[in-house]
Amino acid sequence: MHAYESEFREPLIGPSVKNYTQITDELVRPTEGNPPLSWWLIFGLMATGTLFFLFCLGWTIWFGIGTWGLNKTVGWAWDITNFVWWIGIGHAGTLISAILLLFRQRFRTGINRAAEAMTIFAVICAGIFPLLHTGRQWLDFFIFPYPNTRGPLWVNFNSPLLWDVFAISTYFTVSVLFWYSGLMPDFATIRDRAKSKTRKFIYNILAFGWQGTAKQWQRFESLSLVLAGLSTPLVLSVHTIVSFDFATSVIPGWHTTIFPPYFVAGAIFSGFAMVETLMLITRVVFKLEDYITINHIESMNKIIVLTGSIVGIAYLTELFIAWYSGYLYEQHAFYNRALGKYWWAYASMMFCNVVSPQFYWFKSLRRNLWVTFILSIFVNIGMWFERFVIIVTSLADDFLPSSWTYFTPTWVDVGIYVGSICLFMTLFLLFARTFPVVAIAEVKSIFRTSSAVAKAERAKQQGATHEGYVGSYQVGVLDKDAKN
Amino acid sequence: MADKIYWKSIEEKDNPELFYTNNENEFSSGSKVVDELVEGFPKSGNTSRRDFLKMLGFSVTAATIAASCEMPVRKSIPYAWKPEEVVPGVANYYASVFFSAGEYNAILVKTREGRPIKIEGNKQSIITKGGTSAKAQASVLSLYDGARYKGPRKGKENISWEQADKEVKSKLDELKQKGAKVALFTSTIASPSTKAVIKDFIAAYPNVEHLVYDPISYSGLLDANEQMFGIRAIPDYQFSKAKVIVGVGADYLGTWLNHTEYETDWAVNRRVSKQNPRMSKTFHIESVPTVTGYKADVRIPVKPAHEEASLIAIYNIVAGKNIPGGYSNPKIEAAAKALISAPGEGLLVCGINDVKVQLLVNAINLALRNYGNTISFERPVYIKQGSDAAAATLYDGLKNGTYKGVLFYESNPVYQHPRGKELADLIANAELSVSFANRLDETSSVCNYVLPDNHYLESWNDIEVKAGIINTVQPTISRLFDTRQFQETLLTYAGKPANYYEYIRQYWENNFFPKQSRYPGFLAFWDNTLHDGEVVLNINPATVSARNINIDDVAAELAKEISSYGEAQVKLYETISVGDGTYADNPWLLELPDPVTKVTWGNYIVVSPSFAKKNDLLPDLNSKEYHVLKLKVGEQEIELPVVAVPGTPEGTFGIPLGFGRTAVNHDLLKNGKNAFPLLKSGKEICGNVTFSKTGKTEKLAITQTHHTLTLKGLGGVRTRKIVKEATLEEYIKNPRAGNEDREEILHELVTLYPTHERPGHHWTMVIDLNTCTGCSACVVACNAENNIPVVGKDQVIRAREMHWLRIDRYFTGSEEDPTVVFQPMLCQHCDNAPCENVCPVAATNHSSEGLNQMTYNRCIGTRYCANNCPYKVRRFNWYDYAGNDSFDKKWGTGNDEGLASYQLGLREPLSRMVLNPDVTVRSRGVIEKCSFCVQRLQDAKLTAKKENRILRDGEAQTACQTACPTNAITFGDRNNKEAAVTALFSDERAFGVVEELHTLPNVLYLTQIRNTVEEKKV
Repeated sequence: MHAYESEFREPLIGPSVKNYTQITDELVRPTEGNPPLSWWLIFGLMATGTLFFLFCLGWTIWFGIGTWGLNKTVGWAWDITNFVWWIGIGHAGTLISAILLLFRQRFRTGINRAAEAMTIFAVICAGIFPLLHTGRQWLDFFIFPYPNTRGPLWVNFNSPLLWDVFAISTYFTVSVLFWYSGLMPDFATIRDRAKSKTRKFIYNILAFGWQGTAKQWQRFESLSLVLAGLSTPLVLSVHTIVSFDFATSVIPGWHTTIFPPYFVAGAIFSGFAMVETLMLITRVVFKLEDYITINHIESMNKIIVLTGSIVGIAYLTELFIAWYSGYLYEQHAFYNRALGKYWWAYASMMFCNVVSPQFYWFKSLRRNLWVTFILSIFVNIGMWFERFVIIVTSLADDFLPSSWTYFTPTWVDVGIYVGSICLFMTLFLLFARTFPVVAIAEVKSIFRTSSAVAKAERAKQQGATHEGYVGSYQVGVLDKDAKN
Repeated sequence: MADKIYWKSIEEKDNPELFYTNNENEFSSGSKVVDELVEGFPKSGNTSRRDFLKMLGFSVTAATIAASCEMPVRKSIPYAWKPEEVVPGVANYYASVFFSAGEYNAILVKTREGRPIKIEGNKQSIITKGGTSAKAQASVLSLYDGARYKGPRKGKENISWEQADKEVKSKLDELKQKGAKVALFTSTIASPSTKAVIKDFIAAYPNVEHLVYDPISYSGLLDANEQMFGIRAIPDYQFSKAKVIVGVGADYLGTWLNHTEYETDWAVNRRVSKQNPRMSKTFHIESVPTVTGYKADVRIPVKPAHEEASLIAIYNIVAGKNIPGGYSNPKIEAAAKALISAPGEGLLVCGINDVKVQLLVNAINLALRNYGNTISFERPVYIKQGSDAAAATLYDGLKNGTYKGVLFYESNPVYQHPRGKELADLIANAELSVSFANRLDETSSVCNYVLPDNHYLESWNDIEVKAGIINTVQPTISRLFDTRQFQETLLTYAGKPANYYEYIRQYWENNFFPKQSRYPGFLAFWDNTLHDGEVVLNINPATVSARNINIDDVAAELAKEISSYGEAQVKLYETISVGDGTYADNPWLLELPDPVTKVTWGNYIVVSPSFAKKNDLLPDLNSKEYHVLKLKVGEQEIELPVVAVPGTPEGTFGIPLGFGRTAVNHDLLKNGKNAFPLLKSGKEICGNVTFSKTGKTEKLAITQTHHTLTLKGLGGVRTRKIVKEATLEEYIKNPRAGNEDREEILHELVTLYPTHERPGHHWTMVIDLNTCTGCSACVVACNAENNIPVVGKDQVIRAREMHWLRIDRYFTGSEEDPTVVFQPMLCQHCDNAPCENVCPVAATNHSSEGLNQMTYNRCIGTRYCANNCPYKVRRFNWYDYAGNDSFDKKWGTGNDEGLASYQLGLREPLSRMVLNPDVTVRSRGVIEKCSFCVQRLQDAKLTAKKENRILRDGEAQTACQTACPTNAITFGDRNNKEAAVTALFSDERAFGVVEELHTLPNVLYLTQIRNTVEEKKV
């Protein structure tokens, strides 16, 4: 807790929040009582989609991977595209909770809980694809190194797919721990407010014996730091390893050393976009505008324009290197990517990922909710196309022209992809309904009544025309600016 | 007083308490294990709730598992009396001959446990010399065809042989008494014994007339020879003696006449080495591209009318005449001059079925003194004897009632006759119609009676391929169904003992035994002939002399005919896969991509790329939708999708024959349209064609779209060095010609990692691109050897064909006149394989002998290996193609249109008899690929081990290698310094595909060398 707080710093919590009770009330409210009709509508739709997702999964396992649009040349398409896309989306959560915690960016408290939840659900969605895309899903356990009676026969530690198994499972474990440990004080808050016995019982178990003692808080803080320290390298490593699936191969368009940084930047890019999509809906549905503020949105938009531009440079670098290398196969791969039979995918990717974030150079657009919402969707479309372009266009036209083919998806491909989005949304909606979407305890730590009151007073003395609000010194600051 | 105690034993008496407790505890005195087990339960007899639940849980689970796992029923029948020569697990080979649909191959039939499973070439044959064709390779599948007749039939009704014989014989007798004529309509019969049987039959029924007709007719050639030389026979073309070969529309490397023999002979002068840097020179004048044209040193694309007209031009040059109507260009002139420059060492062959054309060809060959040198009548070829007149005779005879009855043997005129449809009605109305077809076809389905013949693998027979060169056919399995050999049926009706085996022996003893001097006794002669499969008899060579025919008049007449063709012509032609349509119900052949067009499962119209562009007929290659074009030839109309093939000249519409069969076992086998109705005059060229667009499109199951290797990239237009070529001149100057970059590539291959030792064998394959004709026999051989499933048209459209070996086809040069290279592509068994390190479960790995191995059991099907394979030779089992997993058998394939293997009955016990028991049938969801026929390598190694010796070079051979008629594939152990492959591996011509990736492939290719010195300058 800082002794000094700049009066120029804008408040991290919206103007209408007046005291701690109000925070608790507003943040726990979504878990109590009936959710709004809009929640039911979206949930109904998404749950139906999830059922269809399960149907498509069953269809695939029952009939075989042949029900997808893959062929002898394009062995991966939507499956691995979806996998990389979802893993990328997961990255924002870890970045927000771990890296911003270490850098003491306290604005994160408004969004970190939801972003972490998003990470976990995205990793769940991602994890389904590598397990589902195998020809014999019932033997997927072969990819885990466990003592066995077949020799014992071990996995191939040279295979990037195996590295994925470790990377993703580690990532998932650490993310869940981080998320859950942060939830414990809030579960305790809900427990303490609970009126029914069942509710009390359930949240009591979830709270894991949290009493709010000083020792517990001290350990809580230490654990947060330790987990943040563990997660931070993961933000960089997970997508780096995912990119190795491609970078270590021999296929032109895959075999590229630029992939690790390019993939990590892309992951953060798409992750923040997805956080925005979800936050913009959540803050409206659950009326959390005061906690998830326009400042949050703007900060995230800045990251989006930064990472989007990094990705853009990566695209151009790839093209340059392909030309500069003089390597004919690489040259064709990139020529074909941009101007070949999948030009539309490349064009979509370029527009959504490189052109559209450039709008965020303008402050008014950064702070415009509709623009943000639309662009966040664009970015995720663009990032999906990025993976599609990398995977499918590279495979479709590789070394021997005799084997070149074209990939066309089937309804099962589409069903599984759309279904995974529905699964993700269903999980998120259930989360928003039962868990506090904003970290109550952490938000309270940035809400300082005393300093706010003081600032408001000072503002008044300096000639503020409006009444200052407790918890907000917006008016005073604005007036001060006006005077200068 | 206490009750008396009764005891049963001393133990009981002495210690009753212990005794009773022991007895209560039933298992107490057993093993330690039982004691421990029982200890866990309370002995009181009161089972606790926990134990009850435990046991309940266990028994319910056990019962569920036991009840839900239905074990598939496997039928296996042991030998009641084991035949002496059959050892389970050891293959037996029987010499035989494939002679069907106009194709001849001397073969060995590989049988396992009494089942024929594979056709191999007979290396002792002096004709085909171990080469095979795709059709011969696939013929073993037709033995197990579900469409085979299971017994004699009357209409649709199954009857017994007794009844059939009684009824047919009485009908024949009735017709004989009436004096009504009966036609015995057959394709060429090359069997001397069968001819004798027919003679006997005709002796018994003098009203029977034998009509011989070949659907792919060589009548023009036969008649021309009769006119010119007085002998109605096909001469013996000796391609191995020819230094200059000019082909005119004769696909002698693919389908023309005895092409397997010609391929082996052609290759003799095409195998180039530093020691022997000489090659024959081949010119090919053709309209529709064929493998022969694409392999020629100089391919001269002309439209069909000009195929004929070019002959007039060549005749003019050779004979110094000036007959108008010829068509010439500098290349044709060069061809003519090359022929002149090699008198007696040249060969002109022409595939056009027209007497005038063939007379002209004969005259040219005669003028060049090729007769007696490269063309010989010493041992004429007997595989084509049919006459076009026979077809007309049958039609007219049935129509005007001359023939009251008709018998069909190895002929299917309802499908193959131009007037097949009308013929069907005439046959149905005939008083007697009998078909001897062994499986369902169009003719047998309209006949009154079907008296099914045995399959050739169940039969005795003999085939005289050339005068005095006779092959034997012997049964390799006992009859699968209630069928009877055609010859025995005829013998029955002729009143002779119906034992064809005895008949043949007798015939041979009387006719052939005296004509040989090697064996003193007939038994030795017969047994050795059967063993070898071929015998060459001493014959008196026929002496022929040319008669004087006014060729100028013939040429002038021909010129007049050509001028009536109009602008565009249709050229009907045979494809390598289904030929004349006899085997158009064979799934292996239907799924075999045509080497030229790469289309499977159907036919199409071949047009020039410029025509397609001009008329907006280029297909959507992504969705494989091809525009359908309607052609009108006379009154005949045909609608087929259009395929633009580079090298097709304008004014050409090529239509493959043999498709559009209707009487087949399943709808999936009905592919394309029947083009035989267009073959009105028996001539493949039809003039005055008009076309109209239909606006319709159709999906074609094409496996490769025509990419040239010269492609645009960020660095501009550049050529991929996947195939390498040089001209002969360049090669003589520098053996590395075309392959100069390899030294640098090899030099730059460096690695940080230690290389693996290969102490034992190091299996290596070298493929000579120069002698590979693209004939695809290897592809079918690989199918048969390795149990590769057929996936069907729908799956091929989805680019999921399973072939482990494919023929890649690359064009260079212009679309109008490209040069083409065929490259067999299979797993390269890279010593540094990109597929191996990416598999997460180590299911694919490298053997110490350099083999890239697949462990199907370990494979979970991530397809990462297939993605990372630069050669794209790995195949994934998208569905349960082979029927190996039983659980989804009846559930089809979800959203796809269904699996050929399932619908065509290829999972039925009958067709599964063709499976090679040495090769695992793969299940759904695993990757498979070429294994270098590891089962054959193992077999050869074990044989050597049993004999306690080192494996000799050439002992271990892959299926593709043995099938190859041109010996383009050399395989062996590179660690053996003596091996043929070792020398080739370090040959200057050898190169690997995309070697710069440091894959270290164990398959190398030898550069294609073209003998095109002069023509480039022209």
